[in-house]
Amino acid sequence: MKLFLKVQIPLLLFYAVQMLLVPLLYWLTGEGRPFSIMLYGAAISGSVLAVYLAFRYLSHRRLYAKLSEPEAYIDSAFEPLGDAPLPEAFEKLLESYGRRYRDRLGEEASRVDSQITFMNRWVHQMKTPLSIIQLTAEEMDDAAADSIREEVDRLRKGLEMVLYTSRLDRFEDDFSIVPVSLRKAVSETVAENRRLFIRRGVQAEIRVAEELQVYTDAKWLRFMLTQILTNAVNYSGGSGKTVTAAAFQRGREAILEIRDEGIGIAPEDLKRVFNPYFTGERGREYRESTGMGLYLVREICKRLGHRVELSSQPGEGTTIRLIFDSGIL
Amino acid sequence: METILIIEDDAKLAGLLEAYLSKYGFRTVTVEDFSSVLDAFLDSGADLVLLDVNLPKYDGYYWCRQIRSRSLCPILFISARDSGMDQVMALENGADDYITKPFHYEVVLAKIRSQLRRVYGSYAQQPEERTVRLGPLTLYPERFAIQHGERTSELTQKESVLLEALMLKEGRVVSRERLLDLMWEDQHFIDDNTLNVYITRVRKKLKELGAQDAVETVRGAGYRLNIAGAS
Repeated sequence: MKLFLKVQIPLLLFYAVQMLLVPLLYWLTGEGRPFSIMLYGAAISGSVLAVYLAFRYLSHRRLYAKLSEPEAYIDSAFEPLGDAPLPEAFEKLLESYGRRYRDRLGEEASRVDSQITFMNRWVHQMKTPLSIIQLTAEEMDDAAADSIREEVDRLRKGLEMVLYTSRLDRFEDDFSIVPVSLRKAVSETVAENRRLFIRRGVQAEIRVAEELQVYTDAKWLRFMLTQILTNAVNYSGGSGKTVTAAAFQRGREAILEIRDEGIGIAPEDLKRVFNPYFTGERGREYRESTGMGLYLVREICKRLGHRVELSSQPGEGTTIRLIFDSGIL
Repeated sequence: METILIIEDDAKLAGLLEAYLSKYGFRTVTVEDFSSVLDAFLDSGADLVLLDVNLPKYDGYYWCRQIRSRSLCPILFISARDSGMDQVMALENGADDYITKPFHYEVVLAKIRSQLRRVYGSYAQQPEERTVRLGPLTLYPERFAIQHGERTSELTQKESVLLEALMLKEGRVVSRERLLDLMWEDQHFIDDNTLNVYITRVRKKLKELGAQDAVETVRGAGYRLNIAGAS
């Protein structure tokens, strides 16, 4: 309404000047007409103007409403504005901009899509050579083979991280929440990574009740556990240390705690460990540290509706807690 | 002797699988012409099929359906893809199980054995028990027993695993890491000291059987089995 009136100001001024011109003309030519007639004429003319303005307002009101508050109508940006020429032309303009914008967006999305597809395919292609290297190394038995196996393990983990990171973008299509046995998930993940434990001489201790189940996605949970355990072992700082996985229930929540006996995290770094690409002081000492592990854990937790907490005592160790909001015994 | 058909377009990988499986007493056939996989299957008389998903011309799912229309033999997929969806696809196209790359030999062997046991029942186990022979020494890994000449001795499961690994690599060093890996348990993981204890026990059993000084410690590397009179 305000905008409408603002737009009409020149017309109203123009009209007012017109209205003054007629009595002025009468006055100049000396034709003395009664004031009331002139007022009457002005009133009739004024009401014609009012009808015009009302019609104009009614036929353009959606356009004006949209123009004065573009944000409020963002979701209905392409709804018809009415069939007066101006709203119609404006509607066409919006539509053509919209079309152009959608085309661009579509192109961009398909570019991203094809890049993801390419990357996934590439990762899968790399797995055949990786299998061959792994199987060949299994047949060898000197120190060189051990070192090859270690590198193969790292390559495998790296590829897995690439895959899971790209899957994170399409999370909605790729998870299913079912009751999962925490004990089974933890011990299978530990077993999968046993070579890492053995290599670093780190003990695994699992204290999770057999019957404890949580609602989660098994695949993503195992991916998170791999990230957490790999960190815990790598930062344990030497052989003879133990990584403990313990679970307990607190009210409706089930809490899985993974604790290492490593050097811990400096207090000033604590806030940043979940940031992507954050490696911290100690991370730089390990070549495989990408700084993505904990970031991914937090992102996955967010999407699955779990929580993740981290606490650390420098010199004593680090504890990561995964909190599932409804543990079922 | 069961026949295993390997349908894998990477010749190297197919070769490795072939070599490994024949070591465990399977007859293996590989496919070379990927436009007539079904014919290769029918000619091979396979008892079990290892099938890769990504193949030239048609994919593994296609061939799986083709084979399924002619035979009920177990089909194991070997694929790089590991999402739930891919596994569902495989099972829906008639596969019996799924192995993801990169894999370990033991996994393939275990899955093959379990399928054969399930499908062919006792027939698969009966013809001969699996044995590992080394000179005068014979190990029965399935019932944890060792025989030296006329004498036999019972082993624990761990001792049997340990001895099998040493016997298969007779004369060469088996690293401590490798042994710890093989002996991994779900709950308590075996540490160096426990491994020492097991080695001591194996030595003692071998000594009782009359095979003395057989397990040799190689400092900083691992252990080596030397059996007098072995091949």
